[in-house]
Amino acid sequence: MIKGNWHPKGSAAQINAVLSVNDLGRYAIEFEDGTVFRGEIEQLNVAKRLGNVARKIYLEDGSLFTTLENDAVDRVLTPFKKGSSFIHRVESSWRWMVIAVVITIITSFSFFKWGIPWTSKKIAHALPYETNHLISKGSMKFLDKVLFDESNLSKIRQDKISKHFYEKLAKLSVKDDSEIVYKLHFRSWEMNGQAIPNALALPSGDLIVTDKFIELTKSFDEIDSVLLHEMGHVVHRHGLEMMIEGTFVTVTVMMISGDGSGVGDMGVGLGSALVSSSYSRGHESEADMYAFNKMLKANIDPISFSNIMNRMTKFMGVDTNNSESSHDDKFLDYFASHPPTKERVNLANRYSECYKKGLTTCK
Amino acid sequence: MEALKFTGSGSEYFKIWIVNILLTIITLGMYIPWAKVRNRRYFYANSMLADRNFEYHATGKQLFLGFIIGLVLFIIYSFIAQTAPQFAGIFMILFMLVLPWLIWKSLMFNMKMTSFSNVHFAFKGKLGTSYKIFLGYPALFFFFIIIIGVSSALLTNFLLNGGIIPKSIMLGGGVVLGLLFTLGYLYFFAIIKKFTTTYTLSNTYYGQGKVETKLETKKFFIILLKALGLVLIPFVLLSIVITPTLMGGAMIAGAEIIFVLAYFGFIFFMMLVASYVVSRERKYVYESTLLDNKIGFESTLRARDLAWVMLSNLVLIMFTLGLAFPWAKVRMVKLMLENTLVDTSIGFDDYITIQQDNISSIGDQIGDAFDVDVGVAF
Repeated sequence: MIKGNWHPKGSAAQINAVLSVNDLGRYAIEFEDGTVFRGEIEQLNVAKRLGNVARKIYLEDGSLFTTLENDAVDRVLTPFKKGSSFIHRVESSWRWMVIAVVITIITSFSFFKWGIPWTSKKIAHALPYETNHLISKGSMKFLDKVLFDESNLSKIRQDKISKHFYEKLAKLSVKDDSEIVYKLHFRSWEMNGQAIPNALALPSGDLIVTDKFIELTKSFDEIDSVLLHEMGHVVHRHGLEMMIEGTFVTVTVMMISGDGSGVGDMGVGLGSALVSSSYSRGHESEADMYAFNKMLKANIDPISFSNIMNRMTKFMGVDTNNSESSHDDKFLDYFASHPPTKERVNLANRYSECYKKGLTTCK
Repeated sequence: MEALKFTGSGSEYFKIWIVNILLTIITLGMYIPWAKVRNRRYFYANSMLADRNFEYHATGKQLFLGFIIGLVLFIIYSFIAQTAPQFAGIFMILFMLVLPWLIWKSLMFNMKMTSFSNVHFAFKGKLGTSYKIFLGYPALFFFFIIIIGVSSALLTNFLLNGGIIPKSIMLGGGVVLGLLFTLGYLYFFAIIKKFTTTYTLSNTYYGQGKVETKLETKKFFIILLKALGLVLIPFVLLSIVITPTLMGGAMIAGAEIIFVLAYFGFIFFMMLVASYVVSRERKYVYESTLLDNKIGFESTLRARDLAWVMLSNLVLIMFTLGLAFPWAKVRMVKLMLENTLVDTSIGFDDYITIQQDNISSIGDQIGDAFDVDVGVAF
């Protein structure tokens, strides 16, 4: 005896009714006025169970019986293979709940932590080399327009640095990726009247050094160390990788928050920013490693890298010794797109020791 | 007047939600259409009015094709946006051109798939009207903005070079112009709000009964004006607090903390303002709407309640890394439903479903992929 309501086909009107089932595969619906409707269970269209929402049972004439007595419906109709739902059984088992939560947490964590960077790297290297030119097309023009001015370095100085670069460094990395054609550009970069020391690389192999950076360096070795770091970004196709990672994160977030009704949307922006900055931290370390290994091969003391980095950060008003304390805080650490300077300096020191021992590789 | 009731619970929804996610992971996302259906069915079927419930009738199979098309388009768009932003603009313009069609299709599909007490809803708006509202008016408005912007720049230039008018007066003129500009902007939003709400509601049918709503732009404009006032207060306060700290060279130690605080402060104020606008507009729209010229509606949603639920939900979700989402969602839906009142004295027994043509889900699903908000909201 299952109590519920009955609607004529397509009508909002409802009357109280009771459904009963017998062993012979027949059902009966008794309405409140005493009339009875009988039929074969085989002809019923029973909706699959979803939590405890009103269960819909369509009769052969298109009329509808609804009831809240889900357990009773399952008990009497499941033997006739009607309206049973595998998913509902999963949803009702606490063991499955625990498994689902654990799997969800582990998969989403690993997906963001390793899955996305790994796949992006594979895709970045599988794409034809021309893609790098495609994505840096117009970048140089754009940077010249909004950030840079023409370099104030003397032509002789520029030529000297260029000559050194093309003869020593560009040749050094030919083995890694013969398709890359490096080009060195000199620019001046000022913000609020302050000259900015920096070096950057476009995925196409265009390397840009600013006047202030050249001014702060004390040797060719120091210039080389920073340029090698930038070349590391190019060789590892970090520009392309980041774009693919960005696509992944956006698409995944869209799929997750698809039916999310906006409540979580506001946290998503912050989340994506954290994820992306953790990826670019990985890229910085990778470029550092590339630079250090090349320096050992090119007979350059890796300490040059830490020397020039220290001088640059000091110039920008960030003291390396003080930065240690603020980097103890893991949460804030994630906001820095560069690994802690202290960490980089330590790595440079280790490589420098290898260099002094005359090794060409360093473990 | 009787309020809607929600009979579901956070813990029950949690089970449905987590199994949806599990199956989505196992199928690498292909289960999403079926997950959407289960989610929607759960919330519709637990929404009760006068002992009758709503129901969502779409099936995962129906949504699947549209879902795949939407997903592919979205992946292409995201990749273009990352690699060549200049082309993403073209993509967006193309998207704007089909958007009115998407909205129109989506409304028809969603209304048809929704029923209350065994009677289906229907949407009978015209495609042309959708283009007028979602493309024509916005395009016209931006055209005006460009004209006003260019002409005022030219005028300023001319007056400055002529040296006829002192600079202080020019500055005052600029402020007045900026203010007028903001007001014009808000008024445009009020117009759009009026047209879109009228379009969606006044073309909706419940069985044979037609929904009719009579709205005035002026009322929406006043709500937006008050909201503007609310927005300006925190901005003035924020600039007083933050600017000196940034200027004072506190960059090194405190900048990150200030950034985080400002981010959350901004979210908090935006929630307050959004709650204010949503609750006031809802109240106005509901009391101006009638079904069949006899069944009336009312909204008792208060801005502070909405803001509280939004804010506490955000905190809840953040501190549980998203695991509390089901409870958050149920809280929000409960709040909305319990503040929706319908005149049930006449009853619904006379309503019957009107036969409708088949409508594909493609518009709805592409719209979903790009986060176009056109669900059936009640």
